[in-house]
Amino acid sequence: MNFVWRRAAAIARKEWFHIRRDPFTLALALVLPPVMVVVYGLVIDFNIKDVRLSVSDGDRSQTSRRLIETFGSSDYFRIQPVASPGAAVQDVTAERAKAALVIPPRFEKDLLAGRGAQAQVLIDGADNSTVGPVSDYVAAIQTLASERIAGGIGSSAGAGRTDFLTAGAGADLTPPYELRTRYLFNPELNSRWFVIPGLTVVIMAILSIFLTALTVAREWENGSMEMLLSTPVEPVEIIVGKAAPYAALGAVSVGFVYVIARAAFGVPFQGHLWVFGLGCILFLFTYLAQGLLISVVTRQQTIAMQFSMLTGMLPSNMLSGFVFPIASMPTFFWYFTMLFPARWFMVIARNSFLVGSSLAQLAGPFAALGVSCAVMTTLAVRRFKRTLE
Amino acid sequence: MTQTPAVETRELVVRYGDFTAVDRVSITVERGEIFGFLGANGAGKTTTIRVLCGLLPPTEGFVRVAGIDYEQGERAIKEKVGYMSQRFTLYNDLTVGENLDFIASLRKLEPGYYAHRRRELLDMISFKKGLDATVQELSGGTKQQVSLAAALLHAPEIVFLDEPTAGVTPAGRERFWNLIHLVAERGKTVFVTTHYMDEAEQCGRIALMRDGKLVATDSPAGLKKSVFPEQVFEFDPLQRLSFSELAAFEDHEAFSFFEPYGPRFHAAAASPQTWATWAPQLEKIFRIRPIAPSLEDVFIRAVQVRR
Repeated sequence: MNFVWRRAAAIARKEWFHIRRDPFTLALALVLPPVMVVVYGLVIDFNIKDVRLSVSDGDRSQTSRRLIETFGSSDYFRIQPVASPGAAVQDVTAERAKAALVIPPRFEKDLLAGRGAQAQVLIDGADNSTVGPVSDYVAAIQTLASERIAGGIGSSAGAGRTDFLTAGAGADLTPPYELRTRYLFNPELNSRWFVIPGLTVVIMAILSIFLTALTVAREWENGSMEMLLSTPVEPVEIIVGKAAPYAALGAVSVGFVYVIARAAFGVPFQGHLWVFGLGCILFLFTYLAQGLLISVVTRQQTIAMQFSMLTGMLPSNMLSGFVFPIASMPTFFWYFTMLFPARWFMVIARNSFLVGSSLAQLAGPFAALGVSCAVMTTLAVRRFKRTLE
Repeated sequence: MTQTPAVETRELVVRYGDFTAVDRVSITVERGEIFGFLGANGAGKTTTIRVLCGLLPPTEGFVRVAGIDYEQGERAIKEKVGYMSQRFTLYNDLTVGENLDFIASLRKLEPGYYAHRRRELLDMISFKKGLDATVQELSGGTKQQVSLAAALLHAPEIVFLDEPTAGVTPAGRERFWNLIHLVAERGKTVFVTTHYMDEAEQCGRIALMRDGKLVATDSPAGLKKSVFPEQVFEFDPLQRLSFSELAAFEDHEAFSFFEPYGPRFHAAAASPQTWATWAPQLEKIFRIRPIAPSLEDVFIRAVQVRR
């Protein structure tokens, strides 16, 4: 091999000229890394706080209040009192809470009588990004609550009270009651049950955005767009015509994913197929329209690909709740994730597979997805010019 | 009722930011004409043609195509004109039939009419391969002919051809121009841009553009007369001349025009007096004979030398 530094340097110099004159590549190389580090550094936080906990207190005793206070006084849980155990479960089913604490009647009496008092914590097992940390918190809080309750019982019996803040040091850690943890919708915490509905979202997002992101840009690059625009065709006709075949392809892919999830991985499907189907259609059209918008704006396949990765693939992986819990994100980013349709379809997909939520229970995510779809389609049509301007 | 011209522009201006691509261009093209548009690269030919096809909005000025003012909407213009871009714009991975079906659908052609029209146009271009042939299988010349057929599918009143024979073999170019004449004979107006002077000679009238401005408009013969009022001569060197010697002739006071033409030179005398002075000396170096100027001479003098 006859390696000549001068030739390699000439190629490097020429490449540098390209980069200098291509602001997008330059931005990709210099701006994106710090932005990503800052954004994802803030977004990725496994220490979940403010988990919404629906509490049904059937005992309404001093002891049950102490148990609830222990949950509430930590940063981890935000208490939402409800009237009945059914209402607490309903809150978890309808995504209004990530966990429920159900305290039965006679909780204090059973405790005092040493009859094995029990309370239940029901955790949303359909959301893999929160289930692990929430389970850990419940275990830690059970220890603290045991001390407080033991202290309370002791003080009512004339003994000294244990301070919550100094709990643990030298105290008897055997709980005077049992806090039973149950996982709703995925009792065995089968990780495939978590992952496969989430993967459906990510696969659909990547597929649909990449399919259409190239299609308009390709017409610009080939010159065929000039022929198209020389006819009286309307932008909306081009957008609908471009999206339709890919929507059909996407729908078939969803069908494959559904069959594989059910038949090969045994993932249960608790919901209504038509609700899931409607969500799929809305989600597909949103991302197809987003791909078309990218294609219309960039007019170049390579840039369209890069934009698709930035605005489609990364958010559907990182900001949808698939990998990282949305509940733990700072307030700004918690709201920021609302901009990404994948976040909403993640809820619809997981709840359809594992929870069995109805359309009414998923009204929020469906409304958000509908708005996203309308906005993306309108933008794609509006940005599409009938002329070569 | 008198028919409006096929194309009419008055003081047409097209700007891209600060750059003026078309600068106060006024042209009138009558129905049934073969009108040629000549100019160097970047002269504004393609921009003008795109405005006339409804593909670009004019910045200023009046535009009327096929009797429709631009203000009435470019969509109405698109219904009446056919356009063939300088880039090949059919889909290579589709068959000829699929490409034509697609364009017929965009133009909302009735199936019966479309079938008849497709047969007529494929006969016109003597298309021998089947409709099932993919476009990528076709030769460059055949591709251009199929593109022309596609642009004519909806029987437009005017067809705009932007450098339609670029990259086509000489035989293919000749066949294509036979088709252009056939189209014009059938009553269509043909507006064509080209770089080839032999093609421009076949136009009824020609407009010359330079730096976005219209330099001259006339028939090829009229242009030759107006651009070269003086006699043009062909100079054939009797001996081998060095580059510096040739360069000296380009600035020689005897000539108002001196340009290489293959191994020879075409030249025009600066004035009868200087010609009379210098001719005896020049005849020792060149074999000189009077000729009619070619369109290339006209183009060089009007578009480049005056620069």
